[in-house]
Order: sequence, then structure tokens, then C-alpha cells
Amino acid sequence: MLKAMLRGLFAHKLRLILSALAIILGTAFMSAAFVSGDTISKGFTDLFSTINEDIDAQVTAKSDVPSLEGGGGEALVTKVVPQDVADKLKGLDGAESVTPQVVSDGARVIGKDGKVVASNGPPRLGGAWPANINEDPNLELRLGTGPTAPDQVVLSANLAKSAGVTVGDKVEIITLQPRRTFTVSGISGYKGGRDSLGGETFVYFTLPVAQELMLGTTGVYSNVDIKAAPGVSQETLKQRAQAVVGDGYTVRTGEETSQEQASGIQSFLSIFSTGLAVFGFLALFTGAFLIFNTFSMLIAQRTRELALYRSFGANRGQVLRSVLLESLLLGLAASIVGLLIGFGLGWLLTRLLRSTGFPGGALVISPWVVIGTLFAGTIITVLSALAPALRASRVAPIEAMRDAAKPDKPLRRLTTFGLILMAVGIALLILKGTKTLEDNVLTLGGGCLFIFIGAVMVAPALSRPITGTIGKLVDWATPGRLGVRNTGRNPRRTALTAAALMIGVTLATGAGVFASSVKAGLSDIFASELNADLILQTDFTAGPTAGFQPALMDQVRQIPGVSTAAALQTDGVKLANRDEFVVATDAKAAQTLFTLEPREGEIRELNSGEIILNDGFATKTGLKVGDTATMQTARGEAKDLKVIGILASSQVVTNPLISPADASGFRSPLAQQAYIKVTDPAQIEPVRTQLKTLVADNPEVSVSDPSAQIKQATTFLDLMLNVLNVLLGLTILVAVLGVINTLLLSVFERTRELGLLRAIGMNRSRMGWMITVEAVLISVFGALLGMVLGTALGITLVKIFGGNFLKLTIPWGYLIATLVLAVIAGLIAALLPAWRAARLNVLQAIAYE
Amino acid sequence: MTMTPAARAVEVWKVYGTGEAQVQALRGVSAEFERGKYTAIMGPSGSGKSTLMHCLAGLDTVNAGTVYIGETQVTGLGDAGLTKLRREKVGFIFQQFNLLPTLTAAENITLPLAIAGRQPDKAWYDTVILTVGLGDRLHHRPSELSGGQQQRVACARALVSRPEVIFADEPTGNLDSRSGTDVLNFLRDSVRQHGQTIVMVTHDPNAASYADRVVFLADGEIVDEILSPTADSVLDRMKKLDRNA
Ligand SMILES: Nc1ncnc2c1ncn2[C@@H]1O[C@H](COP(=O)(O)OP(=O)(O)OP(=O)(O)O)[C@@H](O)[C@H]1O
Ligand SMILES: [Mg+2]
Repeated sequence: MLKAMLRGLFAHKLRLILSALAIILGTAFMSAAFVSGDTISKGFTDLFSTINEDIDAQVTAKSDVPSLEGGGGEALVTKVVPQDVADKLKGLDGAESVTPQVVSDGARVIGKDGKVVASNGPPRLGGAWPANINEDPNLELRLGTGPTAPDQVVLSANLAKSAGVTVGDKVEIITLQPRRTFTVSGISGYKGGRDSLGGETFVYFTLPVAQELMLGTTGVYSNVDIKAAPGVSQETLKQRAQAVVGDGYTVRTGEETSQEQASGIQSFLSIFSTGLAVFGFLALFTGAFLIFNTFSMLIAQRTRELALYRSFGANRGQVLRSVLLESLLLGLAASIVGLLIGFGLGWLLTRLLRSTGFPGGALVISPWVVIGTLFAGTIITVLSALAPALRASRVAPIEAMRDAAKPDKPLRRLTTFGLILMAVGIALLILKGTKTLEDNVLTLGGGCLFIFIGAVMVAPALSRPITGTIGKLVDWATPGRLGVRNTGRNPRRTALTAAALMIGVTLATGAGVFASSVKAGLSDIFASELNADLILQTDFTAGPTAGFQPALMDQVRQIPGVSTAAALQTDGVKLANRDEFVVATDAKAAQTLFTLEPREGEIRELNSGEIILNDGFATKTGLKVGDTATMQTARGEAKDLKVIGILASSQVVTNPLISPADASGFRSPLAQQAYIKVTDPAQIEPVRTQLKTLVADNPEVSVSDPSAQIKQATTFLDLMLNVLNVLLGLTILVAVLGVINTLLLSVFERTRELGLLRAIGMNRSRMGWMITVEAVLISVFGALLGMVLGTALGITLVKIFGGNFLKLTIPWGYLIATLVLAVIAGLIAALLPAWRAARLNVLQAIAYE
Repeated sequence: MTMTPAARAVEVWKVYGTGEAQVQALRGVSAEFERGKYTAIMGPSGSGKSTLMHCLAGLDTVNAGTVYIGETQVTGLGDAGLTKLRREKVGFIFQQFNLLPTLTAAENITLPLAIAGRQPDKAWYDTVILTVGLGDRLHHRPSELSGGQQQRVACARALVSRPEVIFADEPTGNLDSRSGTDVLNFLRDSVRQHGQTIVMVTHDPNAASYADRVVFLADGEIVDEILSPTADSVLDRMKKLDRNA
């Protein structure tokens, strides 16, 4: 009995493969994300434990200031271990060796092209060359000799390659100090042929030079590594070292050190693998629609067959079980295939990353990934088949005798329910928008989800009017007209197929509206509040230590035609016990340049020990004019600052302002930006030329202007949007599979009709045309729904998060492009079904039961 | 011109399958179907009636022999040629599922013209519509019409493009006797009044009696024919054939 029913399932191989493809894609992405993440993570852990093999305890200076990267493991050392503390550790009980080290982020080498060798994230380390390279457990000299004179350096092999230099060449390096020329005395690498640990670069100086350039002063160290004597545990060593150095220092065991280092590098990785997993899940979610639709259609077609079983005496449970078993088998099989493909993808991915310097050995396949992926893929398939299965179990035996083509159930109930859901969703968003409800993520996410599901339910009622209206465009010829009619024939099917496309398009449109609003908002701010004509800008990938001497502004002000100029020196500090960025600048000039108004107190040039708060920070902390706030900088001591003014709300200045005199403890003594206003527009170009010569020797600083800044920001936004869209393309791909599937099923269902059309003289290409019209209508319908929902979503996001920073803008070009894409997707989806339809043997089609 | 028959089969052989499973559905059938005549094809089940009709209409290929519709040689035509032939020279009426469910009756009737991109000849269209006798139900969907009405719509559709020949495979097979009679009258009128050529396969002696001529098939060969048949004479002949078989 069950066997016979299952045979019914496998009779429709092509359709099953298509719907399984959605599950396969989703599970493949999910498992690839996890497997590659695990593999690389294990690679890092292994790597660091090898490297730290000789470290049983490590001493670093404690810092209260939050790391700039958000996570742990900031590579820029701001708090140092002085010589005397290092010396105290020398005779530590239970230590076999005590090695003070110098290593920190921010050694930028200028390449042959005059530009700084770029990094895409990993640090650019600089440090002291080990006293005895032959005893170093990890490092080796590949070429030349170690640095022996102050003007000699050893470069890591990857750095030497990117900079295009080799032993004997001169090379310029920027550190905490401006560029300086060195001679390459050697090239280093890690043992085992590895050039870097995770893409980082390394410059090795002599010890005093490293101390001066990387830590700011001689006689200090970034950390002290301790190796335990035999029989002394890491924990014991840690406690003894802590007792020696006291509270101002952090002591970690070797193991803790490895974890800390690995976690720093991995935070970037986890963003990447989470992203991949999210899109895998989205693909699965889209796939759920496909499965639901496929099973619904298969069951509709098999109503007679199922009724026949029922009339033989099969009970409802048997029918239900057989359909669910089908879906279980399908889901499991697809998930297994997806998992295997995922392993392949994961392997490729780790290979790819390894070629850019990531570690990673054999693929790490944790049982959880296997179980999780199989479970997710299978459960989604079974759940999506549940409703069709229930419907199948309700097939009455009498239907075996009736004509299978039943009239459609009315859509009233479904539509009403959908409208109610949408109303609830909208209400949630309004409550959230008016701040009646506080809970951010839940109300927002819940509201969006309700609206979305509601929209899916309302879609069938809309499908006929909308596709009919769009269909007017192709109504002038018979194949077109027939295609339009066919689309309107089964509103549920059309709507569900379109809904799968709707998911991706909604998200893409939402993101598009948000991005274009950000862009418009930015331009507005630059236009209305920014009163500068030229900008000195530091390359933001250059890291926290890049920039120019604030004293440069004295020369800038001397340039004829400059009316006002201010340098901004920004750094993360702890202010009034909060992690906050503050800006050291000439507040008087800033008032002119950024059209600042005081809400309270006054805006004037700040003296040391004074601070002007931005409106947001003042509100958050409740600080008032006359209060004091304590500021702890990365390198300096805590200092009390008196509030002399609070800014009225501004879009440009969103941080507290302090005096440059109080910025001595910042991570970098350099300024990152300067804004310059000229006396009249004719002066812009001459001043620009002068500025260019001023910064000509600094490859990390360029002369820009507000419009170039906007352009840079928008280019970045566009890039993000493109990445997002490529990933959303995956869900759209799944949706296209859905369209193909629906049409194939329709072609199959309408075999007789198609045969009839051929018999009365329709040729193959027109048959294809008819199917294509249907495919394109479904796609365009889905895209339209998605665009409307997505625009609404975008508007909601802008209203909720925007304040007046975002300016609501609908990206019409983008929407039109989406629509064009939908047409193309429809055309592609039509290929296979159209080919099938055209290929039908007329005689067989007519004889077909 | 009037001398060429509307459809003609010359020594047509049709073989299905190979080896053990081979079936010779048509064994050297030669037949002519005169213009303006109504011909019925009869014979026991499996005798090759449908096969002959499909071969005549160019829906199926033959293994040997030649088929002509009017002056056009059907055998040897490619898909494009066959499509053109169906559009211009042949009409079909099937036993069931004859209409497109998404179109109204009127739209179904003009569908062949629409497909061919031709305008209906207004006078002829009106005549056909009048003959169908659907009245105000003309703008209803097939699901809202009775089986007999649906089949008359299918007949009208076959007529509207004035093909050289209409092929009908058991057009009354699914209908009760009253609806069947309606359809048969309709077909006969189109022959008598408008000079249409019709070839109809049927099992029903009464249906065959509407024709001008009945051709009998048995085991893939033409074994007999009657001119100006009556239900009784057809029944007689069939009994005789059964005895011989
Ligand atoms: N596609 C096919 N493949 C194999 N054999 C076929 C095929 N179509 C028909 N036949 C065989 O050819 C012979 C003639 O079939 P045909 O359909 O022409 O009979 P018929 O006279 O129309 O019968 P009926 O009155 O039952 O409709 C039969 O033996 C049938 O089994
Ligand atoms: Mg037959």
C-alpha cells in the first residue's frame, strides 16, 4: 500500500529534483559556512598554540580604554611594560626564561608605487628582532641577516613581496613617527614555509628602534613572555608573575594568550560565516515555499489516485503518513546531498582563504554541523509538506469518481486572515515608531514578519487583478492572451510561486531604500551643515595610528585664501565611565566649519581641562554645564574635564570635543582629518594645490572635498549593497527554480490542452511564447509585491532609525532594475517548461489521460 | 480541382513497436474522402480507426504509403508544414477535453483564427454561431456548459476556419443520446448546407447513419463500405463482420 503510494512520488522525478534543489542549495550554504568556519578556527587555535608553545605566562599592561576593534586582541599596544617591571620578572621563581618583547600594530611600509602597502584587516606589526634568531621556535631568517644598525630592518616575506623590495633595497616606513628610510637587511618567515599567521605583515627593527617607533619611547616593552621550568604549571607561573608585577598588569597563561590572539582575528571570520549561514537559511526559507507549492500541486494532481486508495479502504492516517513520509525522504535526501556539496564548498573556501594567508588543515566536520544541517533541511521540508499532506488526507473517496478539476475554493477567508495579520504587523510597527512599545528587535522583527506572512496570504486575491492588468501589455496576440489567462487560473499557485521571489526582492528593495536614504541624508548634511570647501583625509584603512601632525595646520592657515581650518584628532576613550569617541580640535574653528550652535553654555576655544559635549552624550549621561567628566585615554592618565558647553543637535559633530592639549594620551599623536574653508570659491583650486604639496610626503593623507567625501561614502554603501544583492541573488535563484517547477507542473497538467492547441494550428514558438508570458507574469508579480513590501520596509526602517540623519528617498532606478531583472528571471525560468511544451508530441498529448 | 478528394490515403502502413510486441495497426489502407461528403469510419475496437484518422490528419507519421489533404502531400512534411496544414486545411473534434477552460465559448470558437492571426469572415462566423445555437451562453466558460453544448462549441471551432476536412474521433462517445443527436445534426447540416467535408470515427450505428458513406475497418484493412447508410444496414454489416472475425 505505502509502497504503491510512494511509487506515485517517484514518478515525478524532475519536479522532485527541482524542489529538492532549493533544499540542497540552502543546506549546502549552511553547512559550508559552519564547516569552513570551524576549520579556520581550528587552524588558528592550532597555529597559536604552536607559536605560543614556549610561552607559559605572558605579562601585559592593563588598559581601561576599550579596544577600537570592539572585540579583544587589539594589536596596537598603548600601555607598555617598563624596563624595571621587566627586570623584576627576570629572576622569577619557576621560570626557565623571561623574554621581554616589543610588538605593536602600525608599521606601514611604502611600496615601490609610493603608496602604503595596504592591509584588508590584519594588523601591520612592527617589533624587535629576537636576540638569538637561531633559538627562536617559530621565526626563521629566509634571506640576509638580522638588523644590526638603527637603519636596518627585516621584513616578513609577504610584506617584502607586496612592497616589491628585497635584501639591500631602501624602504620607507611610517610608524608612530613620520616616514623614515631603512635598508632591508633580511627577509623572515615562519618555520614550515608559512609567510604569515593570518595575513598580517611584520617589520623587525633593532630593539631600541622598535621601542621608539612602535611604543613611543625606549626602555619599554609591549609584553614579557615567560617559559616555565620543568614541573611548574602555567597556572602557578601566572600567579607568581602576577604577585611580582601587581595590579596594573594582566598576566595570562600561554593557553589564555592563544585564545586571546585567536579571538581577535576570528571576530572578522565569524561575521563572514554568520553571513553565509544567514543566507543559507534564507535560501531554505524560500525553498519552503517551493516545497509547499510542489507538494500542493502534486497532491492536486493525484487527488484521484489518493481517492482511489481511500475507496480501497486506506484511512486518512495512512494517506497523511504516506505524504509526510515522502517529504521526509525528500528532505533527508536533499539535505544529505546539500551537506556533501557544503563540505565541498567549505573545502574550496578554506583553500581560497589559505591562499590569502589563513591557516587551516583538513576540513573540520563537527557532528553538530551534520546533525544541524540534516535536521534543518528535513524539518523545513516536512513542515512545508504538512499543509498539503493534511489536504491530501481529507480527499474523500467520492472524488475518485468526480472530475479532478474542482472549482477553486474561495479566497475570502484566506484574504481576510492575511489582512488581519498585516494590520497587526503594521500596528506593532506604529507602536514601535511612536515609542509606545520599547522592545526594539522583537516588535520590529515581529511586525515585519506579520506583514510579510499576511502579504503572502493576501497575494492570491491580488494575483488575478494584477497579472491581468500587467497582462494587458501582451494581450494583443493569442499566445500572450492565453498565457495571461493561464496565470490567473490558479491564484494560490501563482501567488505562492511569486511569494518565493517576493522574499529576496523585499529584502533587496528594503536595503536599497535604506541605502539611498542614507546617501541622500549624507548629501543633505554636507550641503546644509558642512561649511568647509576642502578636506584633508586619512585613508581609513591605514589603521588608528595613521594621520598627520596637528601642527601642520599652522602651515595650512598660512596659505593665502584659507579663512578657517581645523584638524580633528579622534580616538576612543573612557569618558564618564562610557566607551566613547572624542574629538580634539579647535572648537572655535569647528563652530564655523560645522555650523555648531550651543544648546547650553558656550562654544569657544577650549583650554586644557575643558570639554564641550554633543547633545546625545549629554542626554545619555545627564551631564550639565559646570559638571566634570573623567576621561581616560589609551596612553595617558585619567583627567577631569569641566563641561563648558553642550551642542545643539548636529549631524556632523556627534562626539564630545576636547582641547588638543588633552589629546596627548591618544593612541596616536596624529590628526586624521582637517576641514578647511576658503575666503571665496575662486580660491578652492589654488588652496587645493598648496595643500597637496603640504601632504605630498604623506601617502596616507589625501586632499579631498565634501563632494568627494560623499562620493566615497556612497561608493562604500553601494559596495555593501552589491554584496548584499549578490547574496540575495541566491534566494532569487531558488525562487526561479520555483517558477520553473510550477510551470513544468502546469505544462504537465495541461498536456491535453497543449496538444489541442497544437492540433488546431499553434506552432512551437508560439507555445513557448505562451509559457513565457506566464513565467514572466509570475516573476513580475512576485517582484512587484516584493518591491511594494520592500519599499514599505525601507520606509519603516528609515522612520524608525533615521531621525533626521536619513532623508527618505526611493531609488527609482534601482526599482526599475529589479523589475527588469524579474522579467529576465521569468524569461530564464520559462526556458525549460517552454521547451517541454513545444516538444510535446501532439498525438500523445491528445491521447493523454 | 473539384476532382481531387479532400483527403486521400494510398497504401498506408502503420506499425507500432518492434519484434514480439509489434502491432500492424494499418496494413496497406487506401481510401479517398470526397469533398462535401460526410464519411463514417467504423470497425471493432483496435481495428485501427483512430490510427487511420491520425495518419490522415498528419498527427502521426506512417511507415509506408502516402497521405494527401487536398493537393498537399502530408507525408514528409516537417513540423512547420504540419502546423500550417492544421491551421489552414484540417479541423479536429475529439471525444473529450476539447475546449480551453480559460476561454469563453466564443473565444474558443475563434481560437484557430486567432492562432493563425486571421480575421473571422463575419458572415460565415455568424452562420456558424447561429448553427451552434448557443444563444446567450456564448460568453460562458466551458465549465458552465453542458457536455453537448461543449461538443457543439468544439464543432463550431472546427468549422469556423473552413478547413478542407474535419476529423472527428468519436465526437458523441461521451454524450447522452439527445446531446449526441444535436451534435450529429450539426455536423450533417454543415455538410449538407455548407459543403463541409467530414471524416468521423464512431462505434454507434445510429451515428454512422447520419453519414453519406460508411467505411469498415478490421485488423488494419478496409473490408467494406456502404453508401447512404441507415442504422439498420450498418448494424447488419457490423454483425456480419463480427461473425467473419
Ligand atoms: N501508441 C501505440 N503504441 C502501440 N500500439 C498502439 C498504439 N496506438 C494504437 N496501438 C495499437 O494499434 C491498434 C489500432 O489502434 P487504434 O487506436 O487505431 O484502434 P481503434 O480502432 O481506434 O480502437 P477503439 O475503437 O478502441 O478506439 C491497436 O491494436 C492498438 O493496440
Ligand atoms: Mg480509437
